[in-house]
Amino acid sequence: MRVAVAAAGVLIALAGCTTGTSIKPTGHAVELTDVPFFSQQRYQCGPAALATVLVDSGVHVSPEDLVPLVYVPDRKGSFQPELKAAARRYDRLPYVLTPEPAALFAELDAGNPVLVLQNLLFDWWPQWHYAVVVGYDPDRQQLVLRSGTTERRIESFRSFFRSWQGAGYWAVVALQPGQIPASAAPDRYVAMAAESESLIPASAMALVLEAGLQAWPDDADMAFAAANHARLQGDLVAAATRYRQALRIEANHVGALNNFSDLLFTEGCIASAGTQIAIARGLVPAGSPLDPVITATAEAIEAAPQTEDQGPLCDSLTAIRPTAPPELILPR
Amino acid sequence: MVIKRFICSLISLAFFGTGMLMPAQAAMVGTQVYLQASDRHANIAIVDAALLRSDVQQQLSDLGVDVENARQRVAGLPDRDLARLAEEIESMPAGGTSLLAVVGIVFIVLLILEVTGVINIFKGR
Repeated sequence: MRVAVAAAGVLIALAGCTTGTSIKPTGHAVELTDVPFFSQQRYQCGPAALATVLVDSGVHVSPEDLVPLVYVPDRKGSFQPELKAAARRYDRLPYVLTPEPAALFAELDAGNPVLVLQNLLFDWWPQWHYAVVVGYDPDRQQLVLRSGTTERRIESFRSFFRSWQGAGYWAVVALQPGQIPASAAPDRYVAMAAESESLIPASAMALVLEAGLQAWPDDADMAFAAANHARLQGDLVAAATRYRQALRIEANHVGALNNFSDLLFTEGCIASAGTQIAIARGLVPAGSPLDPVITATAEAIEAAPQTEDQGPLCDSLTAIRPTAPPELILPR
Repeated sequence: MVIKRFICSLISLAFFGTGMLMPAQAAMVGTQVYLQASDRHANIAIVDAALLRSDVQQQLSDLGVDVENARQRVAGLPDRDLARLAEEIESMPAGGTSLLAVVGIVFIVLLILEVTGVINIFKGR
């Protein structure tokens, strides 16, 4: 790895193409000096880099513990999905940053070390490398990384951003459940939550969604995700409340319409279920991936005896609660 | 030419016949299924990030594909193709020394554009 890193320095200087970096972060230099360092054996930069961010977020783990989870000997490296899966095994949420330098700086400013993928060599002969960015200095145009066998590796903006761009600006932070990343975008955050459903403990998942809803109370997908989680946990009234919240934000949210309808149907609220699914059916174009499931829900409801809402829970599921702020009704 | 075309169809069949996330009969839509099916913007962002990689751009332009044009075409893909493209790209390996990832991304991008009639690399011109 050391040889590769040294070689990369020379070769990148020779390469001299791609775009000149016009990245000008404002503010002071940042260096997260408490982030641990694990010297990386040849090819095992994945486990070491992952251990670095996990330990920093309070997990007791060593690179050796992670090797069987993320290292693929045949390829002498680690895959990104495996790094994310391993983080979840330790109850950490792998949040993939918006692919741009500003997101990296925002995380460092907030004290979060960032695991990055770099291509240290050429486009046509890539040398993939995982490292952890722990600081930057806008005046000197430099970053500080835990990388390979170097605890405090200095890289210029110019060479770092080229190697990072070569890897699609892939970067991830390991979040504690309930922590919102500094650079967070709601769509990325909710996608992270959805990916982690049933892979992390339900209580951790509830924290993730609660924090998401507090950060973005007007995000329909976030309310939808919280509703689905509540329903999977058997908290049907909380689920219904969240589905209604999602539909207040976005009346045409097809997922919420379908799932709310399905919930009402299984609880014997046939009339209300029929109303919801009819709206969904009118919204989904034929050929949409969601069409089969919505049609299945609609057909199940149509096949049932058409009655008034009769289930014991119907009143609670359909009730409108004008005064209670939705944030307070989260599933526990 | 005919053989090339046949092989392409064969690969397309294999590609499209597997790995499709079908909700089946289950009447509740999982959050992830919904997001993947509907989140067009996120999918475009994923594909765009892959197309912005310098190694991918190099490969594409070596093949005579205009990258800017490819990005625009990707943005115009139907939801379903776009979702599959993004999903495939996200599952690409990128650790260790491997040309597979780049070749894989380039291949999938071209295949999708080809199948949807946007370009015709495989058929020659």
